[in-house]
Amino acid sequence: MSRRPHDRTRDARTLPVQGSAGDACASGSCGCGSAAGAVDPSSANGNARASSSSANGNGTSRRDFLKVLGVGGAGAAAIGCGPPDFADTLITQLVQPEEIVPGRNDTYATTLGEAGPEPLGIHATVRDGRVIKLEGNPSFPTNKGRLSGLAQSVLQDLYDPDRIPNPRRRVGDAPSDASADAPAGGSYEDVEWDAALAAAAAALGQGGAVLLTGGVTGTSAQFFAAWAESTGAEHVAYESFEYGALRAAHEIAFGTAEIPTYALDRADRIVSFGADFLGTWLAPVEFAGRYAAARAIDEGRHAKFTFVGPRLSVTGSNADEWLSVRAGTEGLVALAVAHDVAGRRGVIELAAVLAPYTPEAVAERAGVPAEQIERLAEELAQAGAPVALPPGIEGQGPQATEANLAVALLNHACGAIGRTVELTDTPLRPSTASFDEMRDLIGRMNGGQVRTLIVSGTNPIFTLPRSAGFAEALGNVPNVIAIHPHLDETAAAAGWLLPCHHALESWGDAEARPGVRALAQPVMRPVFDTRSREDILLQIATIAGRADGFETESFSEYLKEAWRELLGADADSEDNWWLGALRGGGTHALELDASEGGASGVTPGAAAGSMAQPQEATGPALTIAAQSYLFGAFEPPAGDALLVYPTVQFYDGRGANRAWMQELPDPVTRNVWNSWVELHPDMAERLGVEHGDVVAVRSEAGSVEAPVSVYRGIRSDTVAIPIGQGHTHYGRNAASRGVNPLDLLPPVRDPGSGALAFSGVSVSVEPTGQRARLVSTQGSKTDLGREIAELVNVDEAREAIEAHELEHADTSEPLDTAWDTDPQSPYRWAMTIDLNSCTGCGACVTACYAENNIHTVGEDQVAARREMSWLRVYRFYEETEDDGFQVVHSPMLCQHCGDAPCEPVCPVYATYHNPEGLNVQVYNRCVGTRYCSNNCPYKVRRFNWFDYEHPYPLNLQLNPDVTVRQKGVMEKCTFCVQRINRARIDAKDQGRFVEDGEVVTACQQSCPTEAIVFGNLKDPKSRVSQIARGARAYHALSELGVRPAITYLKGVTHAEPAHAEHGDEETH
Amino acid sequence: MATAELDARTRLTLADANEDISRPISKPAGRFWLLLLITMALIGVGAGAWFYQIGVGLGVAGITHPVMWGTYITNFVFWVGIAHSGTLISAILYLFRSGWRTTINRAAEAMTIFAVMTAGLFPLIHLGRVWYFYWLMPYPSQRQIWPDFRSPLVLDVFAVGTYFTISLIFWYTGLIPDLAALRDKFTGLKSKIYGLLSLGWQGTVNEWRHYRRAYLYMAGIATPLVLSVHSVVSWDFALSIVPGWHSTIFAPYFVAGAIFSGIAMVITLMIPLRWAFGLEEYVTEYHFENMAKLLLLTSLIVGYAYVIEYFLAWYSADPIEQESFWWRARGHYAGPFWIMVFCNVIQPMSLWFKRIRRSLPALFVVAILVNIGMWYERFVIIVSSLAHEYEPGGWGIYTPSWVEIAILVGSFAWFFFWFLIFSRTLPTISIAEVKEHLAHGHSAGGEA
Repeated sequence: MSRRPHDRTRDARTLPVQGSAGDACASGSCGCGSAAGAVDPSSANGNARASSSSANGNGTSRRDFLKVLGVGGAGAAAIGCGPPDFADTLITQLVQPEEIVPGRNDTYATTLGEAGPEPLGIHATVRDGRVIKLEGNPSFPTNKGRLSGLAQSVLQDLYDPDRIPNPRRRVGDAPSDASADAPAGGSYEDVEWDAALAAAAAALGQGGAVLLTGGVTGTSAQFFAAWAESTGAEHVAYESFEYGALRAAHEIAFGTAEIPTYALDRADRIVSFGADFLGTWLAPVEFAGRYAAARAIDEGRHAKFTFVGPRLSVTGSNADEWLSVRAGTEGLVALAVAHDVAGRRGVIELAAVLAPYTPEAVAERAGVPAEQIERLAEELAQAGAPVALPPGIEGQGPQATEANLAVALLNHACGAIGRTVELTDTPLRPSTASFDEMRDLIGRMNGGQVRTLIVSGTNPIFTLPRSAGFAEALGNVPNVIAIHPHLDETAAAAGWLLPCHHALESWGDAEARPGVRALAQPVMRPVFDTRSREDILLQIATIAGRADGFETESFSEYLKEAWRELLGADADSEDNWWLGALRGGGTHALELDASEGGASGVTPGAAAGSMAQPQEATGPALTIAAQSYLFGAFEPPAGDALLVYPTVQFYDGRGANRAWMQELPDPVTRNVWNSWVELHPDMAERLGVEHGDVVAVRSEAGSVEAPVSVYRGIRSDTVAIPIGQGHTHYGRNAASRGVNPLDLLPPVRDPGSGALAFSGVSVSVEPTGQRARLVSTQGSKTDLGREIAELVNVDEAREAIEAHELEHADTSEPLDTAWDTDPQSPYRWAMTIDLNSCTGCGACVTACYAENNIHTVGEDQVAARREMSWLRVYRFYEETEDDGFQVVHSPMLCQHCGDAPCEPVCPVYATYHNPEGLNVQVYNRCVGTRYCSNNCPYKVRRFNWFDYEHPYPLNLQLNPDVTVRQKGVMEKCTFCVQRINRARIDAKDQGRFVEDGEVVTACQQSCPTEAIVFGNLKDPKSRVSQIARGARAYHALSELGVRPAITYLKGVTHAEPAHAEHGDEETH
Repeated sequence: MATAELDARTRLTLADANEDISRPISKPAGRFWLLLLITMALIGVGAGAWFYQIGVGLGVAGITHPVMWGTYITNFVFWVGIAHSGTLISAILYLFRSGWRTTINRAAEAMTIFAVMTAGLFPLIHLGRVWYFYWLMPYPSQRQIWPDFRSPLVLDVFAVGTYFTISLIFWYTGLIPDLAALRDKFTGLKSKIYGLLSLGWQGTVNEWRHYRRAYLYMAGIATPLVLSVHSVVSWDFALSIVPGWHSTIFAPYFVAGAIFSGIAMVITLMIPLRWAFGLEEYVTEYHFENMAKLLLLTSLIVGYAYVIEYFLAWYSADPIEQESFWWRARGHYAGPFWIMVFCNVIQPMSLWFKRIRRSLPALFVVAILVNIGMWYERFVIIVSSLAHEYEPGGWGIYTPSWVEIAILVGSFAWFFFWFLIFSRTLPTISIAEVKEHLAHGHSAGGEA
């Protein structure tokens, strides 16, 4: 009945989180069940209904005929009022399974294993067979229901119109230079799956095959290994951002070559030597939650955070203090701090080893005063639970192992090991090929030893420096087969394209943390004519006659068997273990009862057992290793240093074809849709350039030209360029946009780990005299002290909180702003936003785009300030008393004012105040005078200047609960009114009021630090009421008296913010 | 009294007045058709740009966040302002028995009508969904949804609508005796049309008696409108909370500005008209000098308003208000701001000199500059205030697109198109009033 092997199995069904455990697979939402799954996947938008009716019996009965007739009529009627591809599949199933209710969302637990830096447990919201929104899985131990913007945008990856729709074969020669701008797909011909698989099997039969994948964990890793063994091929797993240096350093220091767990939430003093742990390093969503816990001022905590590095990343912009050391000297500074701390804390051996590294000795080379190093050391020595984080990706230089070792020694010196840094011997991240191993592979490719290269889930042409010569080496491989959803640079160099399922269409699992196994299930029917990555491999092996190592016919069976083993379930037992794992999204769901505190996830229960004993085990071993290991000189590069860094939008480039990511303003520079070269204002002045002037950046390996973005948070001897742009292929949004700074990197590695050296390159910068458009989405760089982004000193905040608690003991009455509404109404919806928690990551912005059908408008229109984002996160500078500055990330969205200025000026009542206190925008009534926007002091209303398009299949992602706005109408944040309505209807059905926490807005749901809280202000006990009553609460622009529903909580810093005075500021 | 007027008085007869004033109607010259074609072509350009905007979306205009109103509303206020002097000259000066209005009131009133017709287009052009423009009207819809009468935009609909209606009736009332004169002058179809329009006017004493009463009452009704329309238009801005808009001086400030710009437009139109139609004997330096004096007076009022705006910003001690005004003079829109100050306040001071007041070329230049300055005044008030509002992160810049410029040009063409039609179909000077003056032994200009 079905074409895909796994569809036949009764076991391989997907399960909604809610709803009965019964025949969820028959829902059609997963496409792997009975009736609806029977259709040809190539017509995903096609004839699900027709086949489901004919599947009921042989031949057409009268009843079937009438059904088809009725649906056809409805379809024809629907065509009249909407785009045709919508009308065709408005209702995916003629006979709805019992638990599927039209107009209701279903939620499936699954996992994004390879979407970004860390595996994330997610809940996929599915409506009528289409996944429309991703949210974090609240029971998942690492991300705890939170997501990054990059993970939110995976939907646009799934529905990417530029995905390879069906198997294809290159016609004619492959382009000799993969970077040549061949029109994507222009020289391909469509082939049948059988032909493609046969061709791949024939290539496999020639021997000398290499399977090159991304970093995978869990059963997939196991599967690839088994496949390689069975077929005689070699498996290489490659990730561009790997943690080999960190592993190597910990092996030297502590004898365990695994990445430790950094328990930031337990720390009272945090120092990062460059790791962008809130943005792109290791596990940013998990770290953000832990970081917020360590900074919870209202709970009496506020760990001071120092950032050491040449550039303030999004993580650095949250720091209380910045030691702007020269690029490449992070490790040196760490040694000096470790030296000082060891001396102060009496770690004699270490102090002796580090004797040459006094703060005075390193100060000049590092470019910071010795006093700053000493003060940092003193604070770390005195701290109860300090933690130091290593240099991370942008600090990974030719001495990366030494630098990581230096930080490990510092952690040892200040007693962090075992307390805030948990050593483990279980892999936290897949062990991937180092740059060294990739160079070895390239050598073998050039040498002709590699006859067949199967590439899947990785894009080495883009993510390796051009100087590594991967693209050229690929030309020497006779058979290149891409099992990949996208036509990215590497796939474009392949002769055969065998498109595989997207992660949301696939079975799989991942290891999120030692002991946390996450399960991934397909949440919808494949959008295109694709197959599961592992199934393709299995079928190739079967055709080639090399599948002896496999007992199963499909990967879904393989996975289930692996989990049966993992969980120790009986072969003939009922499937409850499997259903439970599926429904919960992994093992954590099953082990919840066993491990205490597992749900809160703060203590990794499974990891605790394997934690190395800190003091005894590491003391002597550490010093011997440190003595025997030669520390290099940590010389900063001569001249200006290049700093390339991954961004929260693109990571290693994989986000570049998603319009949501292109249009998400960079948290630090606020730029969109382009590449840029960050320069300090002094350096820009020295070169005589300003924002938008194109400069040429040259290194020994190459040169790139990109517009300048002037940034205060970078040293004036450092030049930073973000990674992720500069694609030549990959799709309409990514191709021919920006530059790839990896072109500047020479093939230099860190000898200790074999990892690629991203830093340590010296460059020259020259103005080209040209100008380019570099779109930035922010007006003034400061809030001019206008009570928008408030920042207070931590001591002041503590005093205020104390005084406030005495004063405001009575909390039985609602706040007065609760009454800006119908007195009869039980609700006044309101929100609090804690600027102390907001890290500026932008996850809320993308979540809002996904939930509310917000259009992306493209670079031209963003340049005209016409981005549609309902929610924007400003980056404001606040001056400090010591002539430095602090960065405040300040989300701005509709404040749902109690006395809203936008309301009385609308001539047609298109915007009005509803009884629950919402400022409602009626799209159908709006005529587009735009007066409301003029009169909005917060400037949060967005106007539809055009009808924006959602090319198929991106339109399948649209949320049916939210109107798609037409040109000429105003729109803005609705507080996710569709979610409020759903909750109110449910509550009414059950004869009760909406409970606190029942309505969760999309932005709140995604926020990794829980900075956003939403609820009912009329309920004095609600969380939002309690928080809004706090000492740090204020209303933005309160002097206007518009009584906003959003209460901000002041950011708290250990610096001394100067009180900003009104003055004339540059505009851009 | 200059000799020119004395000469005119001696030369002109009642028949001359009939003949001279209606001469352009009888035989339109070739250059008329040329001008008409040019205006029609430019209207076509503007209309094309508008239809393009309707089809593609408002995004083809330059307006954007945070400057949601740009040249469209600038043009609206500009043209409403132009419309002011017509009624001022015909109604208020009539009530004040200022005889010198006689030779200019007809053209000024026509200008009023056409300016309102032009102004009325712009609220439509600027709508996001113009096909629903009627939702701004209070009509009994089945769903019982009414416009929000608190919104200044709804007040605009009434204010401008009323002004247009009254101005049209007032103008038409004044035309009736002249239409009868034209009926008598022509034969055939023309005579029939003018006869129909003159409502069977016979010139009897009774008719004259009723006519004079009606005209007086119409003047009385029209007079408060001069003050109300632009006050209401100014509330579009004053009733908002935008720094730079939210000010109690806006109503008198806008009314003075409107009269200022209206007088300038009358001078701009009358000087070429007088030359083209050879009406030197009817519209003399004396009339222009009087208008120049009015221009000077209103320039002083407008200048005072500029100063007071800054004083209030300073006196308010509100840093946001201060920043807005500071930026207006020094920021991105400093150019338009200083054009505005020069054209509206500095250069009209030349009118203190009688030689300039009585020199038509000089006066023409002054008037043109005032027109430009007053357009920029509205532009500066609207755009620079919106560009720098409360929320600094949302600050932005607006530059008009070609669509907006095409529509601006089209709007001028539209206005001149109607004025050209008027100049060749109706007497540009009130024949009846001129004759009245001649009969009473005054000069045509009404100098007594």
